Amino acid sequence: MADSVCNFLCITVFVPMVVGFALLFSPGRWKLLPKVLALLISALVFGLSIWIFTFDRYGFYWPVLQIGTLDLELVLLVQPLGKFILLFACGFGLLITVYSLKSRAGTDKSGLYYGSVLLTIGGSAGILLCDNLLFMLIFWEIVTASLYLLITTGGKNSNFAATKSFAMIGASDAAFLLGVLMLWALSGTLSISAISIQTDSALSIIAFLLLMTAAITKAGAMPLHTWLPTSGESAPTSVMALLPAAIDKLLGIYLLVLIVRNIFVLQPGALTIVLSVIGAATIIIAVMVAMVQHNLKRLLSYHAISQVGYMVLGIASATPIGIAGGVFHMLNHAIYKCCLFLCGGAVEQQTGTAELDRLGGLGKKMPLTFAACLIAALSISGIPPLNGFVSKWMIYQGLIEMGAQKAAPAAQLWPLWLVAAMFGSALTLASFVKLIHSIFLSRLPDDLKDIKETSAVQWIPMLLLAGLCVFFGIFYYVPVQKLIYPALNITATTTALGTWQSGLATVLIIVGILLGLGILLVGGLMAKKVRIVPTWYCGEVQDNEQMIIPGTHFYKTVSSMGGLRQLYKGQEKGYFDLYDQGGRLGFGLTAFLRWLHSGVLPMYLTWVTLGLLIILFILCDIW
Amino acid sequence: MNIPLPVFVAIPLIAAFFLPILSGLGRKAKSFATLLANLATISLLVLAVLALGRSEDIQVYEIGKWSIPIGINMVLDGLSSLLLLAIGVVSTAAMLFSTRYMEQYTAKPKYLSLFMLMVAGMNGVVLSGDLFNLYVFLEIASIASYALVGFGCNNEELEAAFKYMVLGTIASVFVLFGIGLVYGNTGTLNMAYASKAINTVGLNPGLAFALALFVAGFGLKAALVPFHAWLPDAHPSAPAPISAMLSGVLIKTLGVYALTRMVFCIFGVSVTIGWLLVVLGLVSMVVGAFLAFGQWDFKRLLAYSSISQVGYVVLGLGLGATLLAQGHAAWASLAILGGLFHLVNHAVYKSLLFLTSGSVQMSTGTRQLKQMGGLAEKLPFTRTTCTIASASIAGIPPFSGFWSKLILVVAAVGAGLYWIAAIIVFVSLCTLIMYLKVQRYAFLGELPENLQQIKEHRGSMLVAMVLLAVLCSFMGLLVLVPYLRATVLTPAVDVLTDGLLYAVNVIGK
Amino acid sequence: MAYAWCFLLFMTGLYCAVVKKNMVKIVLGIIIMEYAVNIFLIMLGYRIGGVAPIVGKGELAGIDKVTSAFVNNCVDPLPQALVLTSIVISLGSLALMIALCIRTYERYGTFDITEIRRLRG
Repeated sequence: MADSVCNFLCITVFVPMVVGFALLFSPGRWKLLPKVLALLISALVFGLSIWIFTFDRYGFYWPVLQIGTLDLELVLLVQPLGKFILLFACGFGLLITVYSLKSRAGTDKSGLYYGSVLLTIGGSAGILLCDNLLFMLIFWEIVTASLYLLITTGGKNSNFAATKSFAMIGASDAAFLLGVLMLWALSGTLSISAISIQTDSALSIIAFLLLMTAAITKAGAMPLHTWLPTSGESAPTSVMALLPAAIDKLLGIYLLVLIVRNIFVLQPGALTIVLSVIGAATIIIAVMVAMVQHNLKRLLSYHAISQVGYMVLGIASATPIGIAGGVFHMLNHAIYKCCLFLCGGAVEQQTGTAELDRLGGLGKKMPLTFAACLIAALSISGIPPLNGFVSKWMIYQGLIEMGAQKAAPAAQLWPLWLVAAMFGSALTLASFVKLIHSIFLSRLPDDLKDIKETSAVQWIPMLLLAGLCVFFGIFYYVPVQKLIYPALNITATTTALGTWQSGLATVLIIVGILLGLGILLVGGLMAKKVRIVPTWYCGEVQDNEQMIIPGTHFYKTVSSMGGLRQLYKGQEKGYFDLYDQGGRLGFGLTAFLRWLHSGVLPMYLTWVTLGLLIILFILCDIW
Repeated sequence: MNIPLPVFVAIPLIAAFFLPILSGLGRKAKSFATLLANLATISLLVLAVLALGRSEDIQVYEIGKWSIPIGINMVLDGLSSLLLLAIGVVSTAAMLFSTRYMEQYTAKPKYLSLFMLMVAGMNGVVLSGDLFNLYVFLEIASIASYALVGFGCNNEELEAAFKYMVLGTIASVFVLFGIGLVYGNTGTLNMAYASKAINTVGLNPGLAFALALFVAGFGLKAALVPFHAWLPDAHPSAPAPISAMLSGVLIKTLGVYALTRMVFCIFGVSVTIGWLLVVLGLVSMVVGAFLAFGQWDFKRLLAYSSISQVGYVVLGLGLGATLLAQGHAAWASLAILGGLFHLVNHAVYKSLLFLTSGSVQMSTGTRQLKQMGGLAEKLPFTRTTCTIASASIAGIPPFSGFWSKLILVVAAVGAGLYWIAAIIVFVSLCTLIMYLKVQRYAFLGELPENLQQIKEHRGSMLVAMVLLAVLCSFMGLLVLVPYLRATVLTPAVDVLTDGLLYAVNVIGK
Repeated sequence: MAYAWCFLLFMTGLYCAVVKKNMVKIVLGIIIMEYAVNIFLIMLGYRIGGVAPIVGKGELAGIDKVTSAFVNNCVDPLPQALVLTSIVISLGSLALMIALCIRTYERYGTFDITEIRRLRG
């Protein structure tokens, strides 16, 4: 039995990768084959991931490389956390494959697109199953590279976004590599399950910070988040839904949990504060930026950043409930953000634009999309009884519990973290009010009169995800107690939600909503008939276009506030973008070096002579 | 299988003399000459592969049966056969590519002749067991390459050729001076006997001077910073297949190989020379990378990137030398393995990149990245092969470059030199960014108006590129599969880790 | 002492190549360096009052008696062979260099190397 499981582990990882790699080179004429293959294989892998989920600790071992003292062995191991996340990663992979069947990106360059999707699925399965850090890094980079390829399918303007994403994530991969090798130097092994290091020496702290950089860059937390909104703008939405919204989060947070819980034994000190500050700052800053965005995909991308803050904060709290909350939030976020991106994609595909100014009133035209989007938006804003609320609540509880351990310096600051988290939640709600208003409510622009609902292939995944939002919200104890607690090996000390009773609350909320509807109905019946006339202004009929209340104006006051205004401007110009600043620094240095290479031969000859002299001194001095 | 070693020099030399004569006989004879040139390079490749399976570790051929030290000998050991293999692969691909590409130029027979001379020179350098013969072959290859750089006879090409020639000749003079000093101090020109003499007597100032001259001279041929200034002019100016040869193998055989042979096998390693190489390597890596990503000329970018990549090779070898001298044999062999593997990898992917740049230039008529864009649709094969090579050089996992860099980083970390590991990783990131830039401006984005009608040139050019791309994808196996590693890489590493055994082996035979 | 003169000649050549702006002078500087190295090689084998390392037919009979004296007196023939080869090589490279100078002059209209700098950066 064990043997067959092992083989299936290999199939899960390598079949999608090999087929994906081969599909990358398939001729552009073949449209159907990549689709069929991708669908079959992602379904197969999803099935396998369910099957794998029923096993504990089966492994596959293959010593790949041994040179000198370097042992590089591929170890695939079914681990509680890994198999749990694998289940969802493969699920998202399948959903997106289905959704893409009708989308533009999935049709034009189908070989490249589906090839990369399969590479992503295989790569993430590899990351989640393998026990060797170096192989994890290899799979990790494969996922990065396939993100690059996927973004390039987004058409003419996606090249900058693709470059930026790959450069930034590539930088974090470099940090990952260094961190992994430092770990190896410290502990002499690359096996994740065998490493446990105290963060007391300088080397181990540096290693921790390097690995943390890799994790938070992939997940998209500050300060290395800027690839996310850039790619959000020009990448196909299905890509955004698959990678930055879902799988990248799952992987990044998986790695963060690993390093915080398994690989390192964190001393509650400076490192916890670093993590908490990253978490809190990410929540607040990203949501502030998100509020003032005018582009649907950009807005969603900033929220994808902001939500990472919650997960990081939950993990930083280092309390069982907080970590469980962080992981649950990761899952929830993947669900609702994936759903939101898919809705956004549907809207963009049907209307041809993602600018909020040019959208409006689509609620009646695309009711299913509206419903899914509304549920997901409420969920991300933390409205009970949806899943976003539950996980945020768990994180709050984790923070409060963390405050109970007075000793640690990070714990003493707990009110700060808690306030940041709650305030962030409120701002999230605010910006989604704007989103929903400008897309689905508001007034329908004239050029969007003929919009239709998307095809079933697209709305089924959306509604499925929305349904999952509701299910995980009301029956939160199913995922929390059946999936997350065993995955993290936590026995709950406190009840997940304190005194929260979801059943009762749901009933109350439903009653509330019914009451509200009743009032609306009664009010509508009682009210007098309203006379509808054209708008007049100075004796002339005014064009209706100008009488709109655009959602994009909602938070203009915030962005024009003194102090904040300069910050927003700087942010727009990329002053806070490490990629831009790094680019400037690099080009400055390059300009100097290029100036030195002036094309004058005597100068070059002088370098040669000086070089010879220096070498001469070095070699003759010693001997 | 034991192969008579002069064959490696004789085939290209004979080809070099007869091809132009043959081409004078008319049009058909011309294409026949091209075919023969291709056959010559392919047969060299086959011979190089066969040479890997030889029965002994080291094979010595005494020319004219004169026994050493009186006669001249040729030596084939693990390191030489590795280099022969690299030369074989790259010259085969470059020759295939030029079959179609060089139609743009006049005087193709002369080109073929010079090409063959260059190959003969490189093979000779690699096989020579005699210092002065090494110099002679070095000059043959160098002079052929000077002429090839100026082959187009445009302003920039002539300028580049002249600058390259001045610097290159000075380097050759340094080398000759160094050889004279070695002869004066040891009384022999045979490498094995010189090695024996130096290591029984120890280094005196004269020999140290000679070593310094060798480092500077071969360093210039290898384009290490600060001796690199000719490379970014010369390599882009040459026709694309020649750029591929220059960047792919010439700087490695004339520069890195010769330097390595001198340091490891003749003078013997020491901490000082090891650190000197490490520093040269590091400076080249960083300076080359920074200069490369500011470039807008496709081939110039590739040329600067070559400086940076040769830095990796020299760093690996220097690290190996340092660690050997300090007695950490395990890490030293790992570092040397990384360096040599990177040498082979770089030969393959850089020549592929130069070939793709040639394909782009032939189709679009420009080398400026800013004037390109959206070529992915028009040149699908070029794009794919270029992407594979870029992924490889940037170190994206399944491709070859990742493994060699990984080994280098592991060796640095294992030796406790974390800062070197950090620099390696950092430069690797810079490499990634510069090749992303190439992808972004050349192949993605919007197709300019004037390039709507371009077509991809296929035929033999395509075969050459695909051949190298396939190699790039699967060369990781060289280190991953134990059998391949034991036949190809390990013998070369052993030559260097036990550098002084060279003398014992050669004299003993 | 003679070695020092030789070294001085080498440095003169190097100085000339590095400092002079005229392409032809740079070429001359390189030639001077090559000559310096050639002279150095010759001097390695030179012996004051030495004889040519050639054994005539008549001397062959009594070779055992003359060997030690002969070996001690004759000049080393190897460097001479080297120098011949090296002169041929430098001739080849000289010809190519001068050809390049002429072609470059045709294109740029100047011999001043500091003005021939289209390739930079």
